[in-house]
Amino acid sequence: MAAQSTRSMRSLVSFRGFGAMAALCLIILYVPMAVLVTFSFNANRAVTVWGGFSFQWYVKAASNSGLQYAAWNSLTVALIATTLATAIATSAALATGRGQRFRGAQAFYALVNLPLMLPEIIIAVGTLSFFALLGMTLSLTTVIIAHTVFCIPFSYLPIRSRLETMDRRLEEAAMDLYATQWRAFRHVTMPLLMPGIMSGAMLAFVVSLDDFIITAMVAGAGAGTLPVYVYTQLKQGVTPEINAISTVLLAVSILLVAASYFVAKAGSRYSRPAAS
Amino acid sequence: MNRTASILGLGLAACMLTSMHAYAEGSLAIFNWGDYISDEMVKKFEQTYDVKVTIDTYDSNETMLAKLKSGITGYDLAVPSDYMVEILIKEDLLERVEPNTFENYKNLEPQWADVYWDKGRHYSVPWVWGTTSFTVSTDVYKGDIDTLALMLEPPDELKGRINLLRDVNEVINAALRYRGLPLCNENPADLKQVQDLLTNLKPYVKSFAYESKELASSGEVDLAQIWNGKAYLARLERPDLRYAYPKEGYTAWMDNLVVIKGAPNIENAKLFMNFLMDPENAAMMTNFTGYANGVSGSAQYVDPKLAGSREYRPPEGAPDPEFVPVCNERVIRLYDRLWTNFLK
Repeated sequence: MAAQSTRSMRSLVSFRGFGAMAALCLIILYVPMAVLVTFSFNANRAVTVWGGFSFQWYVKAASNSGLQYAAWNSLTVALIATTLATAIATSAALATGRGQRFRGAQAFYALVNLPLMLPEIIIAVGTLSFFALLGMTLSLTTVIIAHTVFCIPFSYLPIRSRLETMDRRLEEAAMDLYATQWRAFRHVTMPLLMPGIMSGAMLAFVVSLDDFIITAMVAGAGAGTLPVYVYTQLKQGVTPEINAISTVLLAVSILLVAASYFVAKAGSRYSRPAAS
Repeated sequence: MNRTASILGLGLAACMLTSMHAYAEGSLAIFNWGDYISDEMVKKFEQTYDVKVTIDTYDSNETMLAKLKSGITGYDLAVPSDYMVEILIKEDLLERVEPNTFENYKNLEPQWADVYWDKGRHYSVPWVWGTTSFTVSTDVYKGDIDTLALMLEPPDELKGRINLLRDVNEVINAALRYRGLPLCNENPADLKQVQDLLTNLKPYVKSFAYESKELASSGEVDLAQIWNGKAYLARLERPDLRYAYPKEGYTAWMDNLVVIKGAPNIENAKLFMNFLMDPENAAMMTNFTGYANGVSGSAQYVDPKLAGSREYRPPEGAPDPEFVPVCNERVIRLYDRLWTNFLK
């Protein structure tokens, strides 16, 4: 199996133009971010005109309470929604992938992924009317609920596909060796599933962090997130202050993602049975 | 095993929900345009009344309307523009708090009492008001600047150096005034004239953006359609800019403070309204935004450099600025079509 995957990797890499194509994709993905970071050090007030190097926008952003408040909201929402959505998505993936087969499993699968197909604005308006129907006042809680819901499919997909490629016999073997269902899950299924869960969580985190439409609709008093804040500054003119705070946020997310990667790696090494 | 995981999820959700606390006593939630309130004034209000103020922002009157219509926003105050106040009253989204009975109402400048959007001020008090015209570099263009011709049929030195606001009404109203046609116009022949004017203008426009101030002050453009407060701030950074008061006419607007229906902190909202009509506090708003307030007696607290500037209020001899009520739906549709064609 390992030999097979190495062979297919090699054949893909040796494909003519692979390097150029990959480089192009990476450039398209990362150039906007590089521009964003560069202009956060702009001495000029305009976001598009370079006027020399300066830290002034970081200083300004550090004293702008509205901006910080929004950034803080963004992080809070993203962290809580990611945790909840990943927990729910993991349960759903296990139920559909490992549990007993049940009627309507296909329909369930489609239902979980439906939010991916629907235009965001429809979900936004629907969520808002839903909260209105319940008579809930909009707040940070409503934002977290909405984010959790639309993050579920994003974390469900990688977890589910990881689960499908996992060898079922390992769990069966564990139980044959008198592991209880819980211990088999804890020491076999969970560590093997961890990469899927991590990538699901990262996807959910990123999606939550940069959502605008749904958040703008369901955010209540004191619950505006960074994308909402940035968008509403447009009419007054965007300054590199926005770039500065975005750069900080980018650094925080990179740190978080890196940290979770290393934690998962360390954790999986720790809990892996000695035999492997 | 999957049950354990779902119980874990539910437990987390429960923890999260219970940890969300309700509003503390003495709070006030303001829904406002971005970057449009004096921090200094907010701090003073918080200290005077021991009230915690939170501020959320929107980007347009229409976004705010959509949100308020849900009826569950939890905001106390909002800052709609003139025409939007009229719509909010019609939609029954505002509390009739009778600001005209407040202690500081006596400070209101008389011309702002009987405005078309709220006759007698039963719902709203002025936030700030201003005008929409354009600012132009006098180093680049030496002639008389008080005409819309500079913006709509630009001379050679300004061609390709123009930023227009990405705003359908501001641009079309300027075109209608320039051609001497009535506003809120649905006459096909008149709109044809506007369309021709804009089609000819299109190649000379560098950008359509709200960042007029940044573009003009950084020298990206030499003529920018702009609000007077922003024009003032732009000139501080680039002294050769001059704000025009076109002889063909220009737009006036006023944003207003209103209390939202069902506001959780209605008493604090009323306190804030009254607070804003105090001359010293109104002056803080003016000094922060660069726009005039509607409170008499505030002039002595306004930064003299701002108060004496050409942008602050129309000079003697300039035509009166004109408030533009919202047009009927057919006109809005026609304008939108014209605008989409123009931007295409």
